Amino acid sequence: MAGAPAERRLYFEDVQTNVPLETPGMTLTETHATLFGSLTLTPCEPGAIPDLIPLCMSSGLGWRVPQPPLVVLAFMGFEWRFLKPTRVGDTIRSVSTTVAKRSMKEGGVVIEERSILNQRDEVVQSGRLTLLVAKRPSS
Amino acid sequence: MSGEPVVYFEDIQLGEQYTSPGRTVTEADLVIFAGLSGDYNVLHTDAEHMKASLFGERIAHGLLGLSIQQGLLDRVVPGQAVGPLAAVKWKFKGPIKIGDTIHVEARVSAKKDGEQPRVGLITLERRVVNQRGEVVQEGETDHLVGRRPA
Repeated sequence: MAGAPAERRLYFEDVQTNVPLETPGMTLTETHATLFGSLTLTPCEPGAIPDLIPLCMSSGLGWRVPQPPLVVLAFMGFEWRFLKPTRVGDTIRSVSTTVAKRSMKEGGVVIEERSILNQRDEVVQSGRLTLLVAKRPSS
Repeated sequence: MSGEPVVYFEDIQLGEQYTSPGRTVTEADLVIFAGLSGDYNVLHTDAEHMKASLFGERIAHGLLGLSIQQGLLDRVVPGQAVGPLAAVKWKFKGPIKIGDTIHVEARVSAKKDGEQPRVGLITLERRVVNQRGEVVQEGETDHLVGRRPA
């Protein structure tokens, strides 16, 4: 990684359990729905937000919390519930909590509970994600 | 979708199977998804960094694969048979790389009563398969489907 600027990162050892992290908000627009529709080749009704958009956007929102980025090696899987529809004009944010971590030979597994809330603080989607995270390189 | 015949819960048979057309995942798909989701993880955006990684090159966001397969399956499932998503259980089993062609194989694995009397719940088992026949993602999706009006 010659030339790459030194960047602070969070490794498996740094992950704290049971500390909720809240992201900034993002307003869902017609543009999001149109871009997603052209990406997935799915037509979308005016004003509607496809079910998968809040889930997809929560991964990007997760990068905007006030802590260095986690070194995720792989997204292993998730379980998710869609509780309420979202519409164009809604503003979503996400709250994540690491509920368990398990050390493996290569890296460690982190289990995260995540809820997506709207501007009325209603949980619109929620679930549990399993991530493979790098361990701190020995130096 | 207007114009298509409505398919009700009663019309969907347990064990019914669907196979989607294929789709080649492109660099453009990764770039658009990174911009849309805001997920700029090096796994998906830094070709040089990824040369030295386990994967050897950039890989598609797992949720991009999930989104593409959703669109692919929508093209072969009869009108409104698959209602709004209620739940997903999903495993990312292998990488999707730029240039890979994926399709979806799905099967109706369960039919249950919904929480409301006018709605039923169907479960689809899905497998996302690449051009080498490898299952790269798999899982189950639950959908709410309206019952035929009495």
